[in-house]
Amino acid sequence: MDSKFDREQNLKQRLDFIRFYARWVKTVPNEIWSKQQAEFIDSLFDNAKKFSLTREKYLKTIRR
Amino acid sequence: MEIEIEAENIYLKNKVISKLDIFVEDFINILKKYTDYVVVSGYVSILFGRSRGTEDIDLLINKIDMDTFLKFHNELIEKKYWFLNAENPIELFGMLEGGLAIRIAVKDTVIPNIELKYVKSQLDRISLKEHKVAQLDMYSINISPLELQIAFKLYLGSDKDIEDALYLNEIFSAHLSRFKIKHFMDILGVKRGDYGFEI
Repeated sequence: MDSKFDREQNLKQRLDFIRFYARWVKTVPNEIWSKQQAEFIDSLFDNAKKFSLTREKYLKTIRR
Repeated sequence: MEIEIEAENIYLKNKVISKLDIFVEDFINILKKYTDYVVVSGYVSILFGRSRGTEDIDLLINKIDMDTFLKFHNELIEKKYWFLNAENPIELFGMLEGGLAIRIAVKDTVIPNIELKYVKSQLDRISLKEHKVAQLDMYSINISPLELQIAFKLYLGSDKDIEDALYLNEIFSAHLSRFKIKHFMDILGVKRGDYGFEI
């Protein structure tokens, strides 16, 4: 398998989705896109609290 | 999306505020009492609707003296934040002075956190000096100029960064200066046309 090709294809697909999503965001009122976004981000936010990650472990992780 | 742009202000009304937005707003309400600041990097695209998480919010600030830093530090501790890199405020101040970032989170958590550093480069200074102001219903946030943000994201170059750049480019397509984006790309040495979309 050619991993370079896969990465490029993957990025192209992701960029296509970003275009699609941005077009949708531009066509709906702020209340609509931001409500969905807030629900998604809040769930990530709540989930992050469940990690028992210490300061030391976190700093070690981001320095890798 | 309803956006109005007037001089340096970008009005974004009726946005449903997320817990991440509240985290940023609360921190900035403390920070701005002590120094000028500008939000750079991923949170700018999230603020305008990009649907992704982030573990840190990048902020640039002007240099402050130790006395001011100590007051800032003490207020944060009083308001139940903690510093991830070190506990000693003199050590933290030394890190900032040495060009390093310090990380601050709500006490007993690590994500999300604020990554705070001094302006260092010429482009950092442009970010701070020529910042835009995102005006939400209840508060405002200083953000990096969007053209610089896009160029810098392309410079960073990870898939996530390129996606952020494309998102801002699409959302603000009618308002961006292509000349400025290309100018910043040239300063950063970003090759044109090798990131999957046209500027």
